Amino acid sequence: MKILIIEDEKELADSIAAYLKGESYGCEFAATFKEAIARTAIYEYDCILLDLMLPDGDGLKILESLKKDNKQDGVIIISAKDAIEDKITGLKLGADDYLPKPFHLSELSARIYSVIRRKQFGNANRIQVNELQVDLLAKMVSVNNHPVPLTKKEFDLLLFLLGNKNRTISKAALAEHLSGDMADMLDNYDFVYAHIKNLKKKLAEAGCNDYIKTAYGMGYKWEA
Amino acid sequence: MNRLLNKTLLYYTFFATIILLLSAPFFYWMMEKLYTDDVDEAIVLRKKEFETNNQQTLHITDIAVWNKFNRDIRILPDTVVSKPKDSIIQQTIFDALTPEWEPYRVLYTNVKIEGRPYVLMIQLNLVESEDLIKTIIWIYLAILFALLLVIFFITRFISNRLWQPFYDTLQRIEQFNIEQHTSPEFSNTQIKEFEQLNAGLEKLIKGNLQSYASQKSFTQNAAHELQTPLAIFQSKLDLLLQDTSLTQAQATIVQSLYEATSRLTRINKNLLLLAKIENNQFSETTTFTINELINDVTPYFAEQANGKQLFIEKNTKSIVSINANRGLAEIMINNLFLNGIRHNVENGKIILLLKDNSFTIANSGAVQSLDETILFKRFGKGSADSRSNGLGLAIVKEICDRYGWQVSYKFENGFHYFSVSF
Repeated sequence: MKILIIEDEKELADSIAAYLKGESYGCEFAATFKEAIARTAIYEYDCILLDLMLPDGDGLKILESLKKDNKQDGVIIISAKDAIEDKITGLKLGADDYLPKPFHLSELSARIYSVIRRKQFGNANRIQVNELQVDLLAKMVSVNNHPVPLTKKEFDLLLFLLGNKNRTISKAALAEHLSGDMADMLDNYDFVYAHIKNLKKKLAEAGCNDYIKTAYGMGYKWEA
Repeated sequence: MNRLLNKTLLYYTFFATIILLLSAPFFYWMMEKLYTDDVDEAIVLRKKEFETNNQQTLHITDIAVWNKFNRDIRILPDTVVSKPKDSIIQQTIFDALTPEWEPYRVLYTNVKIEGRPYVLMIQLNLVESEDLIKTIIWIYLAILFALLLVIFFITRFISNRLWQPFYDTLQRIEQFNIEQHTSPEFSNTQIKEFEQLNAGLEKLIKGNLQSYASQKSFTQNAAHELQTPLAIFQSKLDLLLQDTSLTQAQATIVQSLYEATSRLTRINKNLLLLAKIENNQFSETTTFTINELINDVTPYFAEQANGKQLFIEKNTKSIVSINANRGLAEIMINNLFLNGIRHNVENGKIILLLKDNSFTIANSGAVQSLDETILFKRFGKGSADSRSNGLGLAIVKEICDRYGWQVSYKFENGFHYFSVSF
């Protein structure tokens, strides 16, 4: 999987690349508008992470040129601006997702995972992890072909864990992911534990192995 | 508070009355002197008249007849010695006709009739001082009344004409709102003082607007600039967490760092939100009901409330519909709701109430009332709870101010009530 990180903050770009390496993504960098245009013109990427504020140009222009050339690369906008207009314009221009800074790398990883799955597998979008099968479209989970009834939150949680396989996800990232728009006013992460517990219980009852591990009491990890 | 016009009138009335009162004795004295002088003159004239016309032809035998027909000019025997002669004196004589004691000016002078000495007495009635005073009082009252009437109309005229630019300026300042970023336009005036006032105010307002704008943009820029370093910081933490060689002690440190970053991020986002509300970036409005909003968020908050075993009581039968930006209204409800959970106690209670076009949320919590003066101020934290960032209620206030809603707080029966009237 090839990912292009268009971001002028080198430290942030490095962090993203280091985190994504765990999921066998190969990352390339573009720190300026020109560089980004040059790279996207020549290569194809599974996913492009696009910072809107580049020193020499507006990131939205890159998006426009991608769409003009009919490129199929998935695009996730990462912006410090967090302006509703930017989000709407970006999504209208064909971006697949919008993630305001600062974000958790696990959140980013989960979104990349989701974009790539959508792009590559289209309608027959199923994830198979040993005995566990997840139908992304129908939002159904089954273990050894026996359906496991999950709540919406538990399903989200499972996908988030799968999108960050073998990497520890902080409780804060999970909490923010689960509370969506409400994340900004969050101050109690206890509910994460309750959801994890329920998910583990349901999967175990269906005969699934215990892949969800606790890390130092401060995060969770999907180990498979 | 008195109006300028009333105050002016009051002063005019007061001083006019004082001046008139003070002048009254002088006026009385002048009148009396003038009148006395006039009467004295008349007496002298009569004396002369007697000397030229009557003295030569009058016989002693006629004296009785003369005295019979003349009341004021009489010829008395020269036995009258007790009275000073040839000077006009004042006497009070009983007048049998009135019947009253009346003041008289009297002249006694020695005359010779057919060679024999007699005393001529000329007397003239004066106005009683009581009557004079009465008259003066009436005149003065009339003058005072007329004067006040004139003053009243003149002052009104002046106040309306002369002070018109002042009232105009006053009205514009009252309407001035620093958040609207528009300096009031003062009308031109030909009066130097008002021109100075307007110029001074314009300068003051301009300075205020500038510092307000720069303060606002500073907050916004600072918050913006912090986003990127925060993003880097957080991403490094996420990487650090992946390190399998972390010891438990190190992991605990990482955990504290996570918590601090979360708080920092939240404060920053709230500051940016405040800036956005101020910059009118939520101008789009729709009509919706508060009931929908509450129903939307209740499941989420119920989950949060579970941690403290809180009981949420909903009293939302009446429908409250408003026209506003939905996102902002949501933020407002969320902040109030979260506030009620955050500052609650174990096994506490939260009451949601929709009634009479207002939304009220009440929660159990600290047993004393909160300081209302700082409650809605930025970073005006009422509690030492580190998770509260002191911006939640400031945002609520900002949103309410934007739409002209009234937000209020009261403490009653151990419950903290926050109400928003739409």
